[in-house]
Formats: sequence, structure tokens, C-alpha cells
Amino acid sequence: MTDNNQTPAVHVSQLVKRYGDMVALDYFDLDVNQGEIFGLLGPNGSGKTTAINCILALLTYDAGTIRVFGQPMTPTSYALKRRIGIVPQNVAVFNELTVTENIDYFCSLYVPKKADRAPLVEEAIDFAGLQDFRKFRPGKLSGGLLRRLNIACGIAHKPDLIFFDEPTVAVDPQSRNAILEGIQKLNQAGATVIYTSHYMEEVEQICDRILIMDHGRHLALGTADELKSMIDTGERITIETFDLTDDALTAVRALPFVIEATYDGHELAVRCRRGDHNLVDLIGVLRGAGANIGHLTSRPPSLNDVFLELTGKALRD
Amino acid sequence: MWSTFIVSLKSNLRNKSALFWLIVFPIALSTMFNGVFGGLDKAMSITPVPVAVVQDTNWTNAVGADTLITALSGSQNDSGQASGSSQSDSQNDDKSDSNADTVIGDINIGVRLLDVTKVDSTAQARDLLTQGKTDGIIAADGDGRIALTLGSDTVATANNGTQDVGLDVSLAALDNVIDQYNRTSATVKTALKDNPTAALTRTFWNGIGSATNGTKEITLTNFKPDVMARYYYALMGMACLLAMSYMIHTVTTAQANLSALGIRRTVAPLGRAKQLLAGFLAGWLCSCVCLLVALAYIRYVCGIKVGGREPLAVLAVLVASFMTCSFGTMIGAIPKLTDGVKQSISTAIACGLSLFSGLYGGFAMELSDLISRKAPLLAAINPTQQVTNLFYSLMYYDSTQPFIRTCVILLAMSAVFLTAGVIMLRRQRYEHL
Repeated sequence: MTDNNQTPAVHVSQLVKRYGDMVALDYFDLDVNQGEIFGLLGPNGSGKTTAINCILALLTYDAGTIRVFGQPMTPTSYALKRRIGIVPQNVAVFNELTVTENIDYFCSLYVPKKADRAPLVEEAIDFAGLQDFRKFRPGKLSGGLLRRLNIACGIAHKPDLIFFDEPTVAVDPQSRNAILEGIQKLNQAGATVIYTSHYMEEVEQICDRILIMDHGRHLALGTADELKSMIDTGERITIETFDLTDDALTAVRALPFVIEATYDGHELAVRCRRGDHNLVDLIGVLRGAGANIGHLTSRPPSLNDVFLELTGKALRD
Repeated sequence: MWSTFIVSLKSNLRNKSALFWLIVFPIALSTMFNGVFGGLDKAMSITPVPVAVVQDTNWTNAVGADTLITALSGSQNDSGQASGSSQSDSQNDDKSDSNADTVIGDINIGVRLLDVTKVDSTAQARDLLTQGKTDGIIAADGDGRIALTLGSDTVATANNGTQDVGLDVSLAALDNVIDQYNRTSATVKTALKDNPTAALTRTFWNGIGSATNGTKEITLTNFKPDVMARYYYALMGMACLLAMSYMIHTVTTAQANLSALGIRRTVAPLGRAKQLLAGFLAGWLCSCVCLLVALAYIRYVCGIKVGGREPLAVLAVLVASFMTCSFGTMIGAIPKLTDGVKQSISTAIACGLSLFSGLYGGFAMELSDLISRKAPLLAAINPTQQVTNLFYSLMYYDSTQPFIRTCVILLAMSAVFLTAGVIMLRRQRYEHL
């Protein structure tokens, strides 16, 4: 390949994909730099998987350009495909083959020589922590082990670009942590990672940059901190108090930085706009109203807040 | 491509469901057929009936009685030149039954009906009957008529179809022969009484000789017909179509629009055509192996013949399994249906079409024959019927032309199925996933 580190690993420009009257991707743009872990966030049906499938040349599209490592991606771009790994959302392995056979087979599609392949397969088994399950068939593996096998099959050939499509769905915290650490190790070894998930804390934990999309459109792009700074929501304050009067609650709601304040009889929850003295001002109002304050927490805005503010709270399919 | 072939092979051979339907099912069903039809076959066979022949004065006076008994028992004559052992047709063991077809000198007298014990008196004959050493007594009366008397146990056994199968058929045949002898004997006596000089003419004796109206069995076909064999062939037809499951699975797991596994394989840098070809070859090989196992069981355990043309039977399996893999490719390529739905469709097709190839009993067999006569085109496009015909043509026809014609029909079907499958599979990218 002739690409250098300045060439984006993935470049998508003005991509349009329609399913009949429904627009799945609406002039969607994306640039993923080489060597980064790039998070793709969006609610169900926002177009994340469609975008990935278009990039992988699995789906046709109506307009736009897609380049991978500077090259146009087509179904027969075998040289490019050799550099790509995919960990699909659904576990994609042969149920009749053992763990080792599955990894070896998928690796063989990229590395035909068995001698070259053998150490890669071993490395993938070690990477996924499947040493004790080599002879197991998928039906005998737990959900977490299956996910790890799914990952091992996608990364055994040491791809330069790896797509992880919600790889931690339905796995326990230990497996999830192992998977996330593994992804970071792959990245440190030089792989570019495109990661989609609904778990904001995961994305925030591992992704260098995050793109939030909805309705097939690019909504926001940046680091987690940059995204948090883009929204109006500031900290969330919760105060334990048992004697808050209606007048005191009205006074809290009247504060200029308060977006929303709720009280359930023992806890006051306040969502604030950005501001430097929100907590001090709020406590001042409560003391003035004679409320006794117990436990108090102040949480800065999370990626989840960013996500909800950008994509709304309406339920999706 | 080699690794894809090996993986497909492993995947197929470890697919317990497919192995059940392709090996266990035909073996179990053919074992069942063997149990049911094996008895039927014996029930239609003729076995020698042990009888005591009372050689008293009446018997000595009954002209030709001794000759008749000698012929029916397969022994040549009283002089000890009898050939009790049978000589079967040397060409093959299927054209004759060594127990039934007897040759005396140059004359083939046909089926051996009697196992004779000669006694001097009726009392001795009764003793043998009482002791169960014989089933009946043959004796002559004063007029030279001979009669067969059966023991009560023998009658009861003959009337009970579950015991000593074939006895009733043997007794019916024996009764017919003895009746014919008595009528001929009476005719000769009457004729000679009216015209004593008639005995001097060859025409008279030729006329007497030709008066017998028995049925002679001759073999026109390559092998002795075996009605039950068609059920086994139809079973092979069904098992063959069930092998579609291999290719349905192969195609489904190679198509991005049909499975997650397909997505992973489509993204890989190995062309889909190569992956499908490797899967096809593996599926074909597995189908062949499974069907050959079933065929070997039917041929060597159940004893169902394939006309002495075993190598051609293997070729038949190769052609039939190629057709079923092509059919499976087409079904597997149907978009928007899951693997499970397609497997169900293939099972329904195999079971449904087997009705028209006669697998489900006499009614189905008649239906199959009716379709072949009245709507040969429908029979020609029924894959199970054609697979059945493959083995049928090996068994029944001297010429290999019908077999070759059936092979050509199956290969033509394969071409149609593959073309349809390829048309559905040729898209490299999809509108939907």
C-alpha cells in the first residue's frame, strides 16, 4: 500500500443511502485517522451499521464516496480487505468447529500459508483468553467466551483497520473489561479501530474521538471532553433533604442556571446549565428556605447527557 | 479455497441433524421396509411341502402318478437317479431360486413342490402325519385319482399368515397340479375307452400334453423383477433430496444478506465464487458419502439388488447428489429467508415429491405409475422420481440407455438449478442486509 499516516484510514464523503423512501444515510461524512480508536455513537436506527456496511462494500449506496486507506473500496478490493478485520454484532462463527478451528479458518482467508498462520492463531487465542477452551465448540461456550471468540476470529490476521460493532453486548463486566483492554492493546499495536456501542462509558473510556450520529446525519464530532463542552447541560446535583417545602422548590426552579429540578420527598435532583457557582448558589437558596441538607453529590456532564441532548429522549425502535 | 473446502467438510460431517437424515433415517426406514416387505416376499415364495405318498395297490394302478410325484419332488425316478438337489441358473443367482427351480435331465420341471416320504400303507402315512414329520398324505383311490389330505395342524398353519409364510401358496399350487393331473387322467381314460387306437397316434398325446394351462415364468428384464425394490429406490430418492440441507447451509453461511457468518466471509479477501465452489464440492462429497452408506446398507444388508451393476449405482449416486447440491444451492440462494425456513422448505419438498415417486406405499406407487403414464413431463421434472428411476433403470433394463437418459435429465435439472442459484447469488453488494 502507498498510504502514509496522513491518509485517513477511512474517508466517507456525502454518503447517501436510501431504503425506498427512508433515508438511512443523509449526506454522511466521516474521517477516521490512522492509529486512533474512533467511536461511532447513535441510537438504534441512526445509521451506524448501515454506514459500516457501506464502508465494507457490503451495501450499495446512492451517492457519495468511500475510501479506505486512500483507495476506493469495492467488493473485489482484496488487497484492502486483507487489511481489514470485522467483529460483527452477532457472533459469526461455525457452530460445528472448535475454537481453534474457527480462528484458524477465518485467519486462513487472509493468511493462506499454514506456517505463517499458526503463530497468529495462537496469539489470537492468547489475546482472547481462550487458552483453556481450544477444543470447545461454540455451543459449549458462555456468552462472554463466545464474544471473545468472535473477536479472536476478527483480529487473528492482525488487520490494520478493525470494525467492532457492539462487541460487548450481553457480556459480564469482567469480559467487557477484558475486551476493552484488548481493543486498546490492538490500537497500541498500530491498528485503527472503529467502535460502535450503546454503552457511553465504554466509548468514553477507550475512544480518542467520537462521532454522534442520528437519522443518518453527522451530529457532533470530537473527543469526549469536546463533546461535553458542546452541550448546554452542566453538572447534575442531588441533595438529600427531607423537609423541602413547595416554596423552597419553587425558589430552586427559579434559579437562572436550573434546567430541571425534581423532588421525591427525600431527594432533590437538579440539572444545571454550565456555570461556575451553581452548587454554592443552590445551597444558599436551600439554607435560606430552612431546609436541612444531608448527603450531597455533584456530577459533571457525561457522554450520556451529550448523547441524550443531541439525539433526544424519544424512544427508538 | 482449500481451507474453505476442509472447513465445509468438517462442518457438514459434524452436522448431526444432516447425518441423521442422510444416514440414520434411510437405514432405519430401509430396515423397517426389510422387516415388512421381507415377510411379504417370503409369503409369495413356494417351498416344498413334506408329504407321505402311500404306494399301495391303488397307487401302482394309477398310471403316471409316480411320474407326477417324481417331477413335483424333483427326484428323477425310483431307480435312485433322482436329483433332489437343485441346479440354479448359472448366469446369476437372481434369475432362479435354488430351492424352487429344478432340472431333471434336460427338462426343467419348474418349481419343486413336494418333499416326499414314500410309505406302504395309509396307516404309516397317518403315523408320520401325527408325528409331525409330514404335512399331508398323497394317496390314490381305486379309480386312479390321487388326493392330497392335509393334517389339521397344517391347515391351521396355512390359514395363519404369520406362521410358515408361503405354505398356503405352496398348498394352493399343489392342489392345482393334482387337480390338473386328475382331470387329464380322466380325459385320457375316457378317450381311450371311446377310441382305443388313439393311443397309437402322436397327435393324441401331443393334444394331451398341450392341455395343461399352467403359467410359465420367463425373465424378460435384466434382473428378476422385485416389486419391493422400488420402495428402496424411492427411499434413496428422498434421502438424496434431504441432502439439500448441506448446500442450503453452505450458501446461507456465505451470503452477507443471509447471516452474520456471511458478512464475515464476504468481507474476507477470498472471492465468494471460490468460497461457494469449495462449499459445493464439500457438500457434494458429503452427500455422496452419506448416500453411498445408505445404498451399501440397502444393497448388502437388505439384499436389494441393483441389477449387478454396482459401479453404475455409484455413478448414479454421484449424479443424484450433484443434482441435490444444485437444488440446495438454488434454495439456499433465495433471499430474505432464514436458514431454518429454507431447511424446512427443503424437507417439505423432499417429503412432498417422495409421494409422487411412490415412497409411501401402494397408493403412492400407483400414483407414481399414473403420473409416469399420463403426465410424463411431471415425472421428468420430479427429482425424487428421477433418482428413483436411476436405480430402477439399472435393475430392470438390459440396456444402459434408460440409465443414461435419466442421468442426462438429472444433469439438465442441475444446470437449471445452478443457473437460478447463480442468478440470485451473483450480486456482490446488497440493497439491504
